[in-house]
Amino acid sequence: MADKKRVLIVEDAAYMREMLEEMLLQEGDKYEVVGFATNGEEAVAKYKELKPDIVTMDLVMEVMDGIQAIKEIKMYDPAARILAITALGTPEYRDKALEAGADEYLWKPFTIKNLLDVLERLLREE
Amino acid sequence: MRTSSIVKGELLNYRFLMLVLLVLACVLLSFYFAYYRGETGVYTHVFYIPLILAGVWYKKKAVYLAILLGVIHVFTALIFIHPIPAELTVETFERTSMFVAVAYIIGFVSDKRAKVEEEITKERDKFQKILSTISETIFIVDRDLRVLELSKPELKAGIEGEEGIPGIYRRIPMSKYKKREEIIGEKCYKCFWGKEKVCDDCPIHSIFETGAGARMVRSFVLADGSVRCVEVEYVPIFDEGGNVVRVIGDMRDITEEKRMEYKLKRAEEQLRETKDYLDNIIESSADAIAVVDMDGIVRDWNKSAEEIMGYSAEEVIGTSNRKFFAKPEEADRIMEIVLREGALKNYRAIVLRKDGKAVHISMSAALLKDRNGVPIGTVRVSRDITKEVELEEKIKEERDNLNLILNSMQDGVYIVSEDYKVEFMNKILIDEFGNQVGNICYKAFHNREDPCPLCKNKRVMKGETVRWEWHSRRMNRTYDLIETPLRNINGSISKLTIFRDITERKMMEDELRETCKKLEELDKMKNAFLNVAYHEMRSPLAPIVGYASLLERCELPEKGRKYIYNIEKCGRQLEKMINRMLELARIDGKKIELTLSEFGIREAVNEVVKSLETEARAKKQEIHTIIPEITIQADKQKVIAIFSNLVSNAIKYTPEGGRIDIMAEEEGANIRVCVADTGVGIPEEHLPKIFERFYMVDTSLTRKSGGLGLGLSIVKEYVKLHGGRVWATSEVGKGSKFFFIIPKSQKEV
Repeated sequence: MADKKRVLIVEDAAYMREMLEEMLLQEGDKYEVVGFATNGEEAVAKYKELKPDIVTMDLVMEVMDGIQAIKEIKMYDPAARILAITALGTPEYRDKALEAGADEYLWKPFTIKNLLDVLERLLREE
Repeated sequence: MRTSSIVKGELLNYRFLMLVLLVLACVLLSFYFAYYRGETGVYTHVFYIPLILAGVWYKKKAVYLAILLGVIHVFTALIFIHPIPAELTVETFERTSMFVAVAYIIGFVSDKRAKVEEEITKERDKFQKILSTISETIFIVDRDLRVLELSKPELKAGIEGEEGIPGIYRRIPMSKYKKREEIIGEKCYKCFWGKEKVCDDCPIHSIFETGAGARMVRSFVLADGSVRCVEVEYVPIFDEGGNVVRVIGDMRDITEEKRMEYKLKRAEEQLRETKDYLDNIIESSADAIAVVDMDGIVRDWNKSAEEIMGYSAEEVIGTSNRKFFAKPEEADRIMEIVLREGALKNYRAIVLRKDGKAVHISMSAALLKDRNGVPIGTVRVSRDITKEVELEEKIKEERDNLNLILNSMQDGVYIVSEDYKVEFMNKILIDEFGNQVGNICYKAFHNREDPCPLCKNKRVMKGETVRWEWHSRRMNRTYDLIETPLRNINGSISKLTIFRDITERKMMEDELRETCKKLEELDKMKNAFLNVAYHEMRSPLAPIVGYASLLERCELPEKGRKYIYNIEKCGRQLEKMINRMLELARIDGKKIELTLSEFGIREAVNEVVKSLETEARAKKQEIHTIIPEITIQADKQKVIAIFSNLVSNAIKYTPEGGRIDIMAEEEGANIRVCVADTGVGIPEEHLPKIFERFYMVDTSLTRKSGGLGLGLSIVKEYVKLHGGRVWATSEVGKGSKFFFIIPKSQKEV
């Protein structure tokens, strides 16, 4: 297996961060969680610091929401790969996220299979 | 006379030359006798020849010639006779004296005669002049109709022709002016009338026979085209024996007289015509015309009067006019007004016909006066206006009705003329503002000096109907005004305004608007709240489902695996329910657009059936599909949602072991779908409402089937979005059938 994909998890709920990490680790050495952020601002800072391969981005957060964070990260690094994850189920939000620069979109709730499938797709596009 | 004017040097005058020659002859003769014969006596008689001639020609001047001849005679005797006998000398002087005496006498007589002749000529000329200056032309003809004398130097004559101006003149085109000299000796018919033979009406012959004078009128046209008319009076001239020898004609120009006569005649004719015309008018007038004298006695009564009143002229003329009036004193009143004002106009009265029937009349009358201005009666023209009066009454009645309506209206109605004068106000306005009819509207209603800034009068006068709302700040009320042009009978335009107090309505409208706004806000808030609520509800689901899926991967006993499965399943169910609510919230929040694509309807149904198979199988139900291979153009996700809702409903409400049929067929440009089940059915009274949101047939919490009652309302919305419709039929206990129709293609819609 080549290099592990370095993942930055942005999520305001601790149990969700934990769950996402657990799910990613299920794939053995494919993904490596390099950091967590609990809001958009933090996410942007962490991105600049860690330069992860993938960002999973919750959209509804305090201080700076996910949409804004996606925009700023994409502005900083157009090659950034961002997976938007949210419980806001309407297509408008999905469109907003994609417009802002998210590469994929995942609705809550999701199973581990859902997550790994969408990440696979994201990586294939590389 | 000019012939004798020797002094004027007419030496070559033949008389004078002749005298000279004669004198010379006498001298030679005298020399001859004296020289050769010695005689002096005999030849001297020859000397009388020139002397007499000179006396006749030169009057008294002949004396000079006599002296000359005497001298010659004397000298001849003295020179040639020697010696001169004494008697010769005496004789010589004696003869010389004789010469002079004869010359003088002859000269004197000639002179006298010449003077008399001159006098006669003068008198004659004078007479001629007088004759020619008088306008009448006098001529004399003899028995042979020859003109012997004419008083004018020339005559305007013509040729008698055809009839000219009707009734008066005969046309006699004139040939030319004729000179007196040409006329005298000519036949009268030829020179006067240009005819070749005697005039048919010539009176001259009979005058010669009877001796009675005659008169005749002739007219003719002159060369310049003017028509003349002459009258000729013939008078006979008798000789001593009483026979007519000549006839004198006295011709007089009577053109002007004739012309006047003619004009007079025409004027008389015209007058007669006018009179006839007026008589006709009076007789044929549709109005009754009557003449009533100062005592009220009828003096004239025309045909229409007979018709209107039923009395004939014979019956009425000479009787009092009082009996005609329904109120006899009206007769006196009319007379009084006419006398006072000189006339009466459109006076209305009721008169009684002979048969007793009342007739409304409109009477105009004028005072008749004699030449001295003394009133002698009245002429009255009356018209039967019974019909008009009836019509007027009818109109009045209608108007009263109209007024009644206008006055009982709660809306204000008023009419204003072009110059802002109030012409009408209905009762409600009069009650509020007092009667302002005749006053200026802006003064009366608004206490202004100029028209109101918002006044629509000018626009309405142009024919426009204006509807507007006006808020009176003073009264704090709002009015709805309709202002419309009103065409009057005389062609002018007034403004009709109807206004209604809509203050209450306005307030209600405002309230309503306010409420609507609030509702809208509430709705927005609701949607926002729902969005948040769904987010918050879904968020905890994420770890439930997520961890469940993680747990599945762990080493677990069989029991644990089953629990986890149930957790995940319930989580998914909860998610689906939340999704539906979210879907509805979205439909509510704003218009949803269709995302169109082409797909096979069978493929879509299979997809739905596949996803619901597990549920159906759990209830041991069978799902049958009869779907033709039809490609439709629609929003696939929504079509799937429609089927999914209908089928899951069917599964939900059908007991175990039931059967579900899904059928589709083409129907023209549409596709018709039926989802039938063998379930509990829906009571009839619920059928119309099942597509309403949150509607549940069984609202008890203990009901068997879950759900929020949102599925069918989503179906209805989606079908509607596609331009289709949805309905259901059901039989309780046997099952329900849900139908929907959508167009195969959205392009045609």
